[in-house]
Amino acid sequence: MDLQRINVKFFVENPDGILLTDFIRIFNSWIQASDGEYYDIADYNHVHAGPGVLLIAHEANISMDNTGNRLGLLDNRKQPLSGGNIEKLHFVFRSALEFCRRIENEPALGGRIKFRGDEALFLINDRLVAPNTEETFRAVKSELEALARILYGGAEFTLDHNGDPKQRFTVFIKTPRAFEVDTLLKNLDSYGDRLVGVGGT
Amino acid sequence: MTAVESWKQKLAHLMPPDLAREIDIFETQIELRKQGKIDERVFAETRLRRGVYGQRYDNGQRHDGVRVQKLRLPSGGLTKGPETVWDAPGMIRIKIPFGGLNPEQMEVLADLSEEYADGISHVTTRQDIQYHFVHIDDTPSLMRRLAAVGITTREACGNVVRNVTACPLAGVCKDEVFDVTPYAKACSKFLLGHPDTQDFGRKFKIAFSGCKQHPCGLTSMHDMGAIAKKKVVNGEERRGFEFYVGGGLGAVPYRAQLFNDFLPQEELLPIAQAASRVFARLGEKRNRARARVKFLVANLGIDEFRRMVLEEREKLAADPRWTDYLSRLHEWAEKPLKPGVSLDGSERPAGFDAWYATNVYHQEQPGYVVATVTLPLGDITADQLRALADIAPRFVKDTIRTTVEQNLVFRWVSEADLPDLYKALCQIGLGEPNAGTIVDVTACPGTDTCKLGIASSRGLARKLRTHLSEASLQLDESVKGLRIKVSGCFNSCGQHHIADIGFYGISRNVNGYTVPHFQVMLGGKFKDNAGAYGLPVGAVPSKRIPEVVTLVTDRYVRERQRGESFQDFISRIGKKEVKTMLDGLTKVPPHDVDPSYYSDWGDPREFTLTDMGVGECAGEVVSQAQFTLAASERELFEAQIYFDSGDFKKAVLTAYGAMVQAAQGIVKTQNYDISDNEEAILSEFQQRFCNTQLFYDKYAGRQFADYLFKARDALKSRGEIGEDLALRRLQETQLFIDAAHSCYKKLSELQSASRASVAGNASPGEG
Repeated sequence: MDLQRINVKFFVENPDGILLTDFIRIFNSWIQASDGEYYDIADYNHVHAGPGVLLIAHEANISMDNTGNRLGLLDNRKQPLSGGNIEKLHFVFRSALEFCRRIENEPALGGRIKFRGDEALFLINDRLVAPNTEETFRAVKSELEALARILYGGAEFTLDHNGDPKQRFTVFIKTPRAFEVDTLLKNLDSYGDRLVGVGGT
Repeated sequence: MTAVESWKQKLAHLMPPDLAREIDIFETQIELRKQGKIDERVFAETRLRRGVYGQRYDNGQRHDGVRVQKLRLPSGGLTKGPETVWDAPGMIRIKIPFGGLNPEQMEVLADLSEEYADGISHVTTRQDIQYHFVHIDDTPSLMRRLAAVGITTREACGNVVRNVTACPLAGVCKDEVFDVTPYAKACSKFLLGHPDTQDFGRKFKIAFSGCKQHPCGLTSMHDMGAIAKKKVVNGEERRGFEFYVGGGLGAVPYRAQLFNDFLPQEELLPIAQAASRVFARLGEKRNRARARVKFLVANLGIDEFRRMVLEEREKLAADPRWTDYLSRLHEWAEKPLKPGVSLDGSERPAGFDAWYATNVYHQEQPGYVVATVTLPLGDITADQLRALADIAPRFVKDTIRTTVEQNLVFRWVSEADLPDLYKALCQIGLGEPNAGTIVDVTACPGTDTCKLGIASSRGLARKLRTHLSEASLQLDESVKGLRIKVSGCFNSCGQHHIADIGFYGISRNVNGYTVPHFQVMLGGKFKDNAGAYGLPVGAVPSKRIPEVVTLVTDRYVRERQRGESFQDFISRIGKKEVKTMLDGLTKVPPHDVDPSYYSDWGDPREFTLTDMGVGECAGEVVSQAQFTLAASERELFEAQIYFDSGDFKKAVLTAYGAMVQAAQGIVKTQNYDISDNEEAILSEFQQRFCNTQLFYDKYAGRQFADYLFKARDALKSRGEIGEDLALRRLQETQLFIDAAHSCYKKLSELQSASRASVAGNASPGEG
């Protein structure tokens, strides 16, 4: 199975007191610091448990997403990635974590946001290629496990697949150990040297 | 894993063949545009007619508050219309005739918003659904998935008949004359893709209402509006419509004029067809600002317009579709899921009473109610929409509708079920009360996504909702029922003209800066089918608009006379007094004192008009001849595919079909009503363009025209068709189509020269 349209979400540790609207200004500053990479900002803070505030780009949308009433950073890859599946997973998880780190270090937030390293949501945004079935889970399980081993540096983890056929293919990756975003990035980096050729097509 | 099919393969058995074919054609047109074989203007109108719309920044640049950034989009030079970059995300408008939805459709809409858009389905002020940030390459799959549940995006945009709207209470309303739903449905179906509705200079909007006094249908602001009416004729009660034409909002609002005070139901579709033909023939094509029906009616006068439509009606060949549906009206009647039981004695959850007071309408049918699901700014998440699709079958059958106030309604709910429905809605964050009140602010997309937006209508609406929700418990009853509507510009997609309190976005230059403002409109009338339009009373900085609402409503509460409506109150105190009242809110402090005035609601960037683009509301004026020529290109492309697959016979037949279609396109420049009959097309082509040598090339003479007749004769002789012949026929077809394009260009130039000559003769008198 060729994994595309990969989504990865890391959850905020303590969302109390965080205003979604703060991210409009933050994302705007990111746009100003970029050179045409980001297309626009979409603000849906007025809907309940929705997509929050999105930073729209051609390759991927980055958002502070509140789907399921769980605030987190969502990296939604829209364009095809090249490389093998494990390389693509590595690329998207790394990208999501880098955005998490950027938010954690965002001066405007004054260190109020920390992301939980012990849980990540993996989702394929394509019901045709990846229906939310046991068959899809079997097809991607070994690669997700390989990614989780790298991400958690060999620590124990579980993959929870919720097989609701109406939802997109979704797996929660969880570990009983607490991890900082920086640690997860280091774990990915330790493996990253061995990856070549992944990225946007 | 089994091999992955495409959506086209997977849904082949579920899509109606005509919809499936249309989507295949659109997919081919995308491919041809990528190959540069369709002109960008023709492609723009083509995609608009498929509901594929542009979106802000799709010209490839965006002001970030400091500078204009060129957006990194990998399109190369490929465009999907003038100044519209291929890879720039766009909007998809999905037609929902009369707002009717069922749970299966809602589930699909939810899925598509997640997979192709930003996770939000947006209900528009004309009962459509819109997605934003969609890539055009995804649209064929998106359309197929919609087609599989009976939804089309066809003619959702462009210069065509747009979504046919109707009162969401039709069939259950206590005051209606009869249920207009089946008429709205029949009208929508009949005019969709109808040859007589394909050559308009601008869009054409139709609305139905079951009564005259309520606002739900908004017939007065439509190009064509039909209000249910009954009349006794020869002792027999007959159904018909009070029929209006020439209404519209936009920069210059017009109220629709009475065409016929009783149009019998049998005449509804033929008159709609005849009116379409008159509009197509006489409506303005070049000056887009004056191309709507309202201008044509105003120019001709209603009496002359009526005379011409009736004359056209007489010429129409009878069409069984005009009346076939009338014998099946009874089939339309909706049925409830459960017996209607009153609410008495039921347990009422917390918050229920407030919701019940504003969101529940008691139907004509005892024991049943319509429950409104309030959608903030018309937005609903994929999870909410999917959950609603699950909730609905517990309470109702397929009786859900979108509303022009950007909400959803569940019809035929047994009243005793309301507490359970309310609890279910609360669980998904949709238990908000205040539907149809001052809190339930309506807004167009504005600068969030619209290329024409000047100010942030959604940003302001969001602010007003919060501001008024907090105060809602303290609001005087006389104020609660007022409507606020916001548009991002004068074009009035937010319908600001018909609100008690309306706003539309403008800008003002202050202290050397451009400052976002809203023009305040007071005294519009939502009731009586949009019975009166509000008047502008002054421009106020965007950031002070919430104070305008407080000021105006407070004064109304304080000073209104017994039973005095808001419109009457505004009229009594007078525009001058209102303007004086607002004067204190119009000042803009210097930038260094309060920079917040210099940015818009929900947008931290310093305000600028740099990002405004060319709107696509008006579509591109593309003649039927151009469309037909583009279709011939597509048919040739299909012939080439047959050739590549080794099916030479089909390649030759299809190539010939492409030539006939190109000839038909050229004939349409002189005879708009040319039929699809091959012999008729060839005969007229011969007579009008070969005998006159209009089609002949300057150097090649009759050669290209001969390709057509030679191909016809060869097919008649039923000779063997091999690879060489097929290849030659494909080449000849390409040359024929190229010659048709040249001929079209030559005809257009002749027409322009003729117009210039007429204008030149007239000009001395004007000087």
